[in-house]
Amino acid sequence: MTAVSVHKFAQCITSHAWSPDNSMIAVCPNTEEVHIYQSSEDKWEKIHVLQKHDQVVCGIDWSSKMNKIVTVSHDRNSYVWNQEGGEWVATLVILRLNRAALCVQWSPKENKFAVGSGAKTVCICYYEQENNWWVSKLIRKKHNSSVTSVAWHPNNILLATTSTDGKCRVFSTFIKGVDTRDSEAGSASDTKFGEQIIQLDLSYSWAFGVKWSPSGNTLAYVGHNSMIYFVDDVGPSPLAQSVAFRDLPLRDVFFVSEKMVIGVGFDCNPMVFAADESGLWSFIRFLGQKQTAPTSARAGSQISGAFGKLYGQSKYNNASDNGNDSHSSGRAHENCITCIVPLKKGRDSKVTHFSTSGLDGKVVIWDLGSQDIADYL
Amino acid sequence: MAGHEDFIEAENAEAIITRIEHKSRKIESLLKQYKPVEALKTALEGSSAITKDDRCKSANWIAVHRAIMAIKDVDGMLASLDSEYYDILMKYLYRGLSTGDRPTCEQCLRIHEKLTQRAGLGCILRCLADTQNTV
Repeated sequence: MTAVSVHKFAQCITSHAWSPDNSMIAVCPNTEEVHIYQSSEDKWEKIHVLQKHDQVVCGIDWSSKMNKIVTVSHDRNSYVWNQEGGEWVATLVILRLNRAALCVQWSPKENKFAVGSGAKTVCICYYEQENNWWVSKLIRKKHNSSVTSVAWHPNNILLATTSTDGKCRVFSTFIKGVDTRDSEAGSASDTKFGEQIIQLDLSYSWAFGVKWSPSGNTLAYVGHNSMIYFVDDVGPSPLAQSVAFRDLPLRDVFFVSEKMVIGVGFDCNPMVFAADESGLWSFIRFLGQKQTAPTSARAGSQISGAFGKLYGQSKYNNASDNGNDSHSSGRAHENCITCIVPLKKGRDSKVTHFSTSGLDGKVVIWDLGSQDIADYL
Repeated sequence: MAGHEDFIEAENAEAIITRIEHKSRKIESLLKQYKPVEALKTALEGSSAITKDDRCKSANWIAVHRAIMAIKDVDGMLASLDSEYYDILMKYLYRGLSTGDRPTCEQCLRIHEKLTQRAGLGCILRCLADTQNTV
C-alpha cells in the first residue's frame, strides 16, 4: 500500500541519510564504516566506503546545499566529508568530548551542525575560514544525562534537545561572526550562546527523537513511556499536549506538515498522528499493511508437535482478538525503527516520501501521496 | 525551609487521610448496593493526586484493594470503565501483584490480562516507566 521499496543493506542500521538529489544513500551498518550506495535500474550499488572512525558510527547527516556529509561516532569524534574529484575527503572535527557522540544534524543554513553526546553535552560546530578548521563550542552543565536527539529550528538559531533525564530543552546557539543579528530570526537573535530558552518536564522517563514543525511553531518529542508530546508557542508560556497510545514506545518523529506527524519506534510500524481544526493531536492509524489471521496460523503449523499446536493457537487467538494488532507478518520492518528521514522535496513544498531504517538492517521508502490520510497534508 | 515543607506535607497528609476515610465509606455503601464498578471508579478517583506520603498511599491502596477484590465480571467492568482510568488501574494492579498475597495476585492477574488486551502494551509501559508518581 505505502511501502514503495524495501531493501536490506546490512544486519543492522544505526542511521542513514540521502544525497541532495536522492540518487545516493549513506547508511551506517552498525560498524565503524559508512557505506554509500547509488541506485541504478532497481539495484543498489555500493560506490563508496567511508573509513576513518575507530568505533561504531551512530549519526549521519548529508547537507543538501553544500553536499557535505557529517558523521559522529562512539569514538568521540566527528568527520566532515567533502567530495573532491570523485573521492570523499574527511576533515576531523575535535568535539572535545569524554563520552560517545550520539546524534548529529546540520543547521538549516548548513553553516553549523549540532552533536548530542553521552557526556551530557551538546556541541555546536562551525567552520573557521582563517584557520581552515571546524570549531566545536560546547553547551555544558545543562543536561543531567545523555543527549539522545537534536533538532534545529528553521531560524538557524534555536536548537531543541532530548535527553535520557526525560527533559526536552531549547537552547540558543547564536555564534558571533557566524550568525547575524537580523529581524529574520526574530527575538531569538537577541539571545546569547548556550542560553536555555525553555525546559519541558512532561516526561518521567527517557526522551528520544525531537523535531520542529516546518514553520517552527510546534515541537514534538517522544518518551519511553508510550507517550508523544506536542508543544506549541515555545517560549515563556508554552502550550503542551501529551498523547498516550496503546502500543510500544517511539524512537523518532518527523513532521510531514504542520498538522501531521509520523512516529517510528519499537512497534516496527510507523504511526500517524494528526491535529484536528482545534489543534488537538491524536493517533490516527498505523501506516503499514495489516495482514489477516491466516498468515499467523500458517506460521504456527510450521512448528511440530503439541507445542506447535499450542503456539499456533495462541498466535491465532491474539490476531483475531485484537483487530488493531500491528505485529503481523508482512509488515515492512521486522525490528525496532530508529531513524526516519524525509526524501528531499523538489519544487513542490509538500513532503510525500520519506524513509525509515532500523535494527533489522532495512531501509524502507514510504509514499504518503496515495493515502487516505493525504487530507492532513 | 525543608522543615517548613515537611510541616505542609504533614498537614496535607491529614487532609488526604480524612478524604480517603470518606471515600472508603462511600465504596462500602456502593458495594452493599451491588455496584462494584461504581465502587472501583470512586476508589480510583483522586488517587492520582501526587503525594509522597506512604501512609496516604497505603490508605488509598486499602480502599482500591477492597474495590478490586469485589469485581466478579472483569469484561463487564472494563466495558463500563472509561479509558482514562486504565493507566491508574494498571498501577494498582502492579501494587497488588507486589503484595504476594495469593487471592490478591490471582484477581490482579485476571484483570491484568483483560486490561492489557484493551489498553495495549503502552499502558504497561506508562505504568512501569513512571517512577515519580507511584501509588
